[in-house]
Amino acid sequence: MSKDIKVALIGNPNTGKTSVFNSLTGLKQKVGNYPGITVEKKQGVCKLSRGVKAHITDLPGTYSLNTTSLDESVAVELLLNRNAPDFPDLAVVISDVENLKRNLLLYTQIRDLRIPAILVINMADRMTRKGISLDVEGLEKHLDTRIALVSTRKNTGIDHLKKLIENHRQIPSTPCVDISVIAPDYFEKLRKTFPKENLYKLWVVITQDVNFTPLQKDYPKTKQDFPARSRAELKRMQHRETILRYQYINGILKETYKVDWQAAKGLRASIDKILTHKVFGYLIFFLILLTIFQAIYDWSEVPMDFIDATFVSASEWIKDTLPPGVLTDLIAEGIVAGIGGIVIFIPQIAFLFFFIALLEESGYMSRVVFLMDRVMRPFGLSGKSVVPLMSGTACAIPAVMATRNIDSWKERLITILVTPFMTCSARLPVYLIIIALVIPDERFAGLSYQALTLMMLYLIGFVAAILSATALNRILKVPSRSFFVVEMPSYKMPLWKNVFYTVVEKTKSFVYGAGKIILAISIVLWFLGSYGFSEEFHKAPEIVQERVASQGLSEESKAYVADKIKEYRNSVRVGITPGPNTIALGSLQDSLQLLRTELEVRAINQEIASYRLEESMIGHMGKWIEPVVRPLGYDWKIGIAVLTSFAAREVFVGTLATIYSVGSDEEETIKNRMAAERKVDGQPLFNLPTGISLMLFYAFAMQCMSTLAIVKRETNSWKWPLLQLVGMTLIAYIAALAAYQILS
Amino acid sequence: MVSWQHILAYLILGAALLYLMRKFIWDPFGAKEKKKGGCGDEDCGCH
Repeated sequence: MSKDIKVALIGNPNTGKTSVFNSLTGLKQKVGNYPGITVEKKQGVCKLSRGVKAHITDLPGTYSLNTTSLDESVAVELLLNRNAPDFPDLAVVISDVENLKRNLLLYTQIRDLRIPAILVINMADRMTRKGISLDVEGLEKHLDTRIALVSTRKNTGIDHLKKLIENHRQIPSTPCVDISVIAPDYFEKLRKTFPKENLYKLWVVITQDVNFTPLQKDYPKTKQDFPARSRAELKRMQHRETILRYQYINGILKETYKVDWQAAKGLRASIDKILTHKVFGYLIFFLILLTIFQAIYDWSEVPMDFIDATFVSASEWIKDTLPPGVLTDLIAEGIVAGIGGIVIFIPQIAFLFFFIALLEESGYMSRVVFLMDRVMRPFGLSGKSVVPLMSGTACAIPAVMATRNIDSWKERLITILVTPFMTCSARLPVYLIIIALVIPDERFAGLSYQALTLMMLYLIGFVAAILSATALNRILKVPSRSFFVVEMPSYKMPLWKNVFYTVVEKTKSFVYGAGKIILAISIVLWFLGSYGFSEEFHKAPEIVQERVASQGLSEESKAYVADKIKEYRNSVRVGITPGPNTIALGSLQDSLQLLRTELEVRAINQEIASYRLEESMIGHMGKWIEPVVRPLGYDWKIGIAVLTSFAAREVFVGTLATIYSVGSDEEETIKNRMAAERKVDGQPLFNLPTGISLMLFYAFAMQCMSTLAIVKRETNSWKWPLLQLVGMTLIAYIAALAAYQILS
Repeated sequence: MVSWQHILAYLILGAALLYLMRKFIWDPFGAKEKKKGGCGDEDCGCH
């Protein structure tokens, strides 16, 4: 056997297709214990013995070949098009041992397309606990195929599956069910009109709801003798087909599959009753969210401080070690400061992904989807929109793609348009740094105000999404039909390996994805902040010294000197005679005078750096946009950060870190730099009104070019991303303006 | 006088600008070559 084998992995949603795919290929595609994770096909290679390779295509889950949504059609189209380059030599149909009956419906349909199909019964490790006994040999005999009993969690049965794939030529491609019995006359005419076509394939093409490009639905109608039927009639025939298939499946399972229902139900049903309860369900969800946000704050404080201090030390080390010059300054003030602005958030992002992965892996996320369906209905969305919206808490891009499993175009469009309101991980750095600056680090009943604020911001994003959905539901005049069926997967102990990979992969993509943009923007910003064309830029030291000589230090510098002296006074003990940690009363005045002189020199240097920054290229650009952002409480530096973060929200912190680094002659942590920023009147720049205004701006603004790109692709129109951009920016501006004006 | 530090710094600036241009100006909306085929492909554009 020298030819490589093309294999399609197909099955109902949430049967563990991607886990089998990962086990076969050694790849690490995202998996989760709720339906709809895979919305487009993924490919990988599985090495078999004797140098044979199996090219595996992991297809999105589908309950049957009668597709209703775009993601399902991906799977069906591949199986219908024998000329497609990926058309499989073998279909590996993944089923879940607990839902075998339902899973076999799809299996029989694939067999009727005359595609050789192996049946994989996954989650075999749950059989004993669920009281399931299975006669595998009997089932193989009845279905005339080979079966692999697999547990991806325990990593059993995969080698057997590989063997079966390798010997795929022995798998028969005989059909299971003769569907012509549901309407003999109709199928006879069909057979005569298209003598060369597979009858069942024709039937699938005629009855599908989603248009396929190569196999157009209208193709059969081009034949004059085509026995056309009304849509309602076809649907009735489809129902008869389903009944016929279930009769066939029931007959087989009656002899081969036994369930002790006493063992199967019980605990799961009791837990579901509580977790999906009309009152307790929401309360528990709320408490889980609260715990997550509290833990994110409590657990990440130490690693964050460590990372922050490490970057400051790295910056200092570079300046001390490398020869002085432009490149050294660029690395120390531009690159290291910019990258530090994103790396510092790794602990919090990783904890967030860890908790999301736990919820997904345990099966709780499906219960959340069920709960949310009730909430969403009055707002024109269904539970099908919940999966994209929940995915939006990580990133809007896969979330927008996940809308492909929504069959109603109107509902899908609304979900695409409102998903970017959900608080994605890119907003997290902005929120975290602002919360740390403006919300007191105090607790109420054991809960920190900072964690509560973060949770409020997540809720604001969700409320904004559903309110916008209501408005769009009324405005958009698109005919729609919608239904929602969610599968409740079994509760499982999270597989730590999956959780670990999810956290690592997501954190890596967050850091690398945004990191490259931040690095590039930091470099450009450093140049713009370090060079200028005006005379004032080049004569900054003379101008500042002259000003200080005639008018004294600025209010900001005076506040800085006063703060430091106060800090010093509080840190020393004064005694009659000097001793360890004690300064003699007589020496206090001298040391204070010395400190004041030193601080004044530092303050003057700081004023020079700050003046140069204002007169630099970026300073002039910032002053140009300042009138627009001033009513929101922002200065020109924040204005520049808002502008650059249009590329990606997390660029905001990196931009400020670089700007403040250039505008300062001291190495400081990002948080301290931002905390030290003052307004002209000496008040802190990042106070409550400015902070709330900024957080609200980022809660609503469409600050992500990549999301716009995906929306354009998914809607195939510029109209919707532009509407999204203008609408969200306007809402953000108005909310930020109102917050600042009211609070100040 | 232009030092080696200047040369390297400007090269880094050039690379950063090039990256940003390619990312957001030349091909900002990912219009990479469209795959031929049907709705199974990402850019089918038929819906």
